[in-house]
Amino acid sequence: MSASIEIAGVSKIYDGGVRAVDTIEIDIRQGEFFSLLGPSGCGKTTTLRIIAGFESPSDGAIRIDGADITHVPAHKRDMGMVFQNYALFPHRTVAENVAFGLRMRGIDKQAIAAKVKAALAMVELSGLEDRRPAQLSGGQQQRVALARAIVIEPRVLLCDEPLGALDKKLRQQMQFELKQLQKTLGLTLVFVTHDQEEALAMSDRIAVMNCGRVEQIGTPVEIYDQPLTRFVADFIGDTNIFRGERVTSDAGPALAAGHGLFLALPASAAGTSLLSVALRPEKISLSSGDTETAAAASGARGTIESTNFLGGAVLYHIALDSGHRVLAQQPNAGAVFVPGRTVKLDWKAADLVVLKD
Amino acid sequence: MPPFAPQTPSQEFSGALPAATSLRDRQRASAQSRRPAAGKRIRAGRALYLTVNIAVLIFLLAPIAIVVVFALNPTPFIQFPPVGVSLRWFQKFFAARDFMHALVFSLEVAMLTTACATLLGGCAALAIARGNLPGARIVLAVMLSPLMLPAILTGLALFQAYVLLDVGRPLWGLVAGHTLVTIPYVVRTTLAVLHNFDLRLEEAARNLGASPGRTFFEVTLPLVKPGVLAGAIFAFIVSFDQFPVSLFLVSPGNETLPITLFNYLKFDLDGTIGAASVVSILLAFLVVLALDRTVGLRAYVKL
Repeated sequence: MSASIEIAGVSKIYDGGVRAVDTIEIDIRQGEFFSLLGPSGCGKTTTLRIIAGFESPSDGAIRIDGADITHVPAHKRDMGMVFQNYALFPHRTVAENVAFGLRMRGIDKQAIAAKVKAALAMVELSGLEDRRPAQLSGGQQQRVALARAIVIEPRVLLCDEPLGALDKKLRQQMQFELKQLQKTLGLTLVFVTHDQEEALAMSDRIAVMNCGRVEQIGTPVEIYDQPLTRFVADFIGDTNIFRGERVTSDAGPALAAGHGLFLALPASAAGTSLLSVALRPEKISLSSGDTETAAAASGARGTIESTNFLGGAVLYHIALDSGHRVLAQQPNAGAVFVPGRTVKLDWKAADLVVLKD
Repeated sequence: MPPFAPQTPSQEFSGALPAATSLRDRQRASAQSRRPAAGKRIRAGRALYLTVNIAVLIFLLAPIAIVVVFALNPTPFIQFPPVGVSLRWFQKFFAARDFMHALVFSLEVAMLTTACATLLGGCAALAIARGNLPGARIVLAVMLSPLMLPAILTGLALFQAYVLLDVGRPLWGLVAGHTLVTIPYVVRTTLAVLHNFDLRLEEAARNLGASPGRTFFEVTLPLVKPGVLAGAIFAFIVSFDQFPVSLFLVSPGNETLPITLFNYLKFDLDGTIGAASVVSILLAFLVVLALDRTVGLRAYVKL
C-alpha cells in the first residue's frame, strides 16, 4: 500500500559547513507523482537519499504516513529505488536481480518465482530471466531496475534521474510507461530530475529546488504559468524577464524597464517599487506592424535578429527599439519573419507574472 | 583483419576516385592522398610491434624452456643440444624421500600461508578502503612494506625474534614469515577492486531490505572476489617458491622444496634440479587452473 511522505524542516550540512539541503518542507501525497527538479548541486539527490535512508539529515524529520522514520535504517524502510545508473547486480541474472528484495524478505521460493515472473511481464522482459545485466541494452536494464524496485510492493518508489542515460526516443517511451505503471499501481513516486520537460510532462506536482532550498511547489501548470521567483521563471522553459521600477500612469500601474520601455502591469500587481516580471515567449504575438492593431494590448516594436525554426513553432530573437532583447515564439503558420525585419510585439498585461527575486 | 590495416588497400594510393563513393569513403581517400606514406608507415610499425612482442616473449619463456630441456636430457650435466629425451631425473626426483617430504611440506606451508594472507590481507584492504580510518595511508604503507624490504632482512629479523622468544622453529613461525611477505599482494589486488567498486550496488541491496551483514555477503564479497582470488594465487606462488625467508626459519628435517633444492645443488648438479623445477611450474599452473575451474576466475578477470 503506497504511503504519503512528509519532509519536515530537513537540513543536511556536510563537514565544512556546506548546506546541501536547507530546511525544506515538502508534503508528498499518497499515490502522487512528485518531482524534485533543479540544476545539479541543488540538493535534490541529497533529499532523495535522505528519504531512502542513505544519508541522515542534520536537522528535521522524515515521516511516512505520519510515522517518524528519521532514524530507521535504509533496509527497514520498505522503499523501492531506481538508481541513475540502475545499480543492477552484475554477478546475478535478471531473475535473481528482481528476486533479491523478495529473498531478503524471506518469502518462499515458489511465491518469489511467481512474483518475479509477473514483474518481468509487467515491464515486458519475459524470456530474459537468465541474462546478465551486461548482456542487456540500456532500456532493458532500466526495466529490470524498475521491476526489481516494484516487485517488493514498496510503500514509495524513489527514482534518481532514472531516464538520464537513455536516448531521446527511448526516454519518451519510458516516461510514458513509467507514468502508466505509477497510475496503474497507485504508487507514490518521488522522481529526481534536472530535465524540466520531463518533470512537466510526468508530474502531478513539482518542487523546484535551487541551492538546497525549495523555490516553489506546484502543479506543472502553476510552475510554468505562475512562477513565484526569478529562478523558477528562468529555469523552467524560455522566458523574458524585465526588471525595473513600478510607476503609475494614467492607464494604471506599469513597469519602467528602462530606455523608455514601459510595460503595463496586471491590476493585481501590487508590491514594492523595484520588481521583476516574466513574460513567456509564446504569449507574445508578432505582427508586421504595417497595420495599427487595437490599442488595448500593450506592446513594443523591435527588429528580428535571428530565427530558430523548431518545426511546429518558430522562435525569434528580437531586439526591441529600447535595446532590450526578447524571445518570441509563434506557431508555425507558414510565414516566417526574416532577420532584419521590423515587427510589432503585442501581449496582454495579464500574461506578465510578477516575480520574487 | 588486423584493426589498423587499411580496409581498402587497392584504393590507397590511387589518385582517381570512383564516381559513386560514399562521403565517408571520399573523406578517407582524400585524407590518405594527403599522406601517401601512411600505409607504409603502418606496415613498418606493425613489424616493429611484432618484433618487440616476440622478443619479450622469448626473454620471458627461454629460461623455462632451458629448464625443461635440462630435465628431459639424460646427461647428468647441462648440455646443449640435448642428446635425447628421458624421464630418469623425474624418476629420481619422485623416488627421493627428501624431495617428496619437502614437496609435501612446501604445499602445506603454501596452503596455510594462502589462507592466512587472504584472510588478513582481505580484511585489511576492506578496512583501508572503507573504514574511514585515521591514517589509512600509513596503515597501507605498513601493510605494503614487506614488498620493499629485502626478504632476507625479514627472515633474519624473524629468526632473531624467535630466538629471543625461545620458541624454536615451529611450523607456525614459518607460516607467519611467509604470510608477512605475501599479505602485500592480497592487499594490493583487493584494493584495486575495491577502488572501482560502485557503492550504489550496496545501497541498492540495502534499499531492497538487506541488512549491512547480508549486503556484505550477498553483494560486496562476490564482487571483490576476483581481486581477493588474484591475491591468493600470488600468495600461494610466492610462498611456494619463497627462499630467503624460509632460509632462516626452516628446521632441519622440515625443509621446504626451495631450501632442499639449494642444499642439493651445493653437492650435486644433475637433471633432478630441472625435474624439480618442472614439477614446481606444473604445480603452480595447476593451482591457477583449479581456481579457474572451481570459482570461474575467467568470468571476472581477463587472464
